[in-house]
Amino acid sequence: MTELLRGIVGMADWRVWAMFGVGLALIWLAVKKEYEPNLLLPMGFGCLLANIPFSSAVGGGFLDVLFKGGITNELFPILIFIGVGAMIDFGPLLQDPEMLFFGAAAQFGIFFTMMLALLVGRIPGVMGIPGLREAAAIGIIGAADGPTSIYVATRFAPGLLAPITVAAYSYMSLVPIIQPPVIRALTTREERMIHMENPEREVSKTVKVIFPIAVTLIAGIIAPMSVALIGSLMFGNLLRESGVTERLSKTAQNELSSLVTILLGIAIGSSMGGKQFLNPTTLLIIAMGFIAFVFDTAGGVLFAKLINLFRKRKINPMIGACGISAFPMSARVIQKMAQQEDGGNFIIMHAVGANVAGQIASIIAGGLILALVR
Amino acid sequence: MDPVIAEGLRVSGLSYALIFVVLGIFYGLVKLLLRILPRRDDSA
Repeated sequence: MTELLRGIVGMADWRVWAMFGVGLALIWLAVKKEYEPNLLLPMGFGCLLANIPFSSAVGGGFLDVLFKGGITNELFPILIFIGVGAMIDFGPLLQDPEMLFFGAAAQFGIFFTMMLALLVGRIPGVMGIPGLREAAAIGIIGAADGPTSIYVATRFAPGLLAPITVAAYSYMSLVPIIQPPVIRALTTREERMIHMENPEREVSKTVKVIFPIAVTLIAGIIAPMSVALIGSLMFGNLLRESGVTERLSKTAQNELSSLVTILLGIAIGSSMGGKQFLNPTTLLIIAMGFIAFVFDTAGGVLFAKLINLFRKRKINPMIGACGISAFPMSARVIQKMAQQEDGGNFIIMHAVGANVAGQIASIIAGGLILALVR
Repeated sequence: MDPVIAEGLRVSGLSYALIFVVLGIFYGLVKLLLRILPRRDDSA
């Protein structure tokens, strides 16, 4: 009888109710708003499972097994990257390789937020003083790339993994809301109406096959800590571009991605225990994630404007905002904005090029942070 | 200056600069590949 009653008694803890609210909110966002439903729905349900008092799913249960077997050892983010790589067509980037630099510029939010976390952490009573590792884990939300955020947070601040993941995926789904006002604030209407010629250059299959191999080798030699991330992304892409492993490519894009996303989501949700999640630090991380996305966007746009000072043929500075990794959401947002200003303005190819550049740049950023932060 | 802040500035600045360097290398690589392997190479 005591066994049956202890669950009901456990409900007296307000944190249980609060976390039920958080879990249900995530499920609501996924179902009703369709914000990153593939991840937020499993996370929300995992949160519910983990917060039921004396739940058998945690405390040695199957969710703990999943967490240790896929998150703690960083396996799930790596497997997700194989799927992502198989889904990405680097063609638009290879046609217009200048877009790579926008990917670099739009990582600015990572480092701005990292410094902000360090500064805020030093205000007495605001949050526990974070070291560089915790600040870097918070800043990496600005990578706008879920697996990279999870990978870095697992290494540097496992206790902050849940709020960092929630922030990263939530803001990725909110890119259509976050980016437009930032872009409008930093650009004139004339700049947003700039047309860009589509690159007519065709890219050979050989280049598409060599690219993922060469990028892996170069990035790996410069930043060995990035090998797992960039290597898995490029391995997936090689499966796609080789043309001889169509079955594997399709499996990586569909079955592998779907399966791992289910496990990743529910396992991260299980880490959202009330004691760890309900504290001021979580709120600050959520706020800083927003700042990271804003400054990513600003970094990309301002970099494009800077380049335009030296170019005859101007770049539409909105393209810079696509350097944020959130793929392909950001490219779609920028194309939509371009057409709102001028119905005949098609910059989607450049936008996609900058967007996939952002994917590469965010992984490089993660690898460099892992290598440089002690 | 707080040594952690100073280290944060150093790491942030260096990382941001290195991202440009690495992607700059990729840019050179792609340009080179496009030059030596134009579209016609995979007519087979």
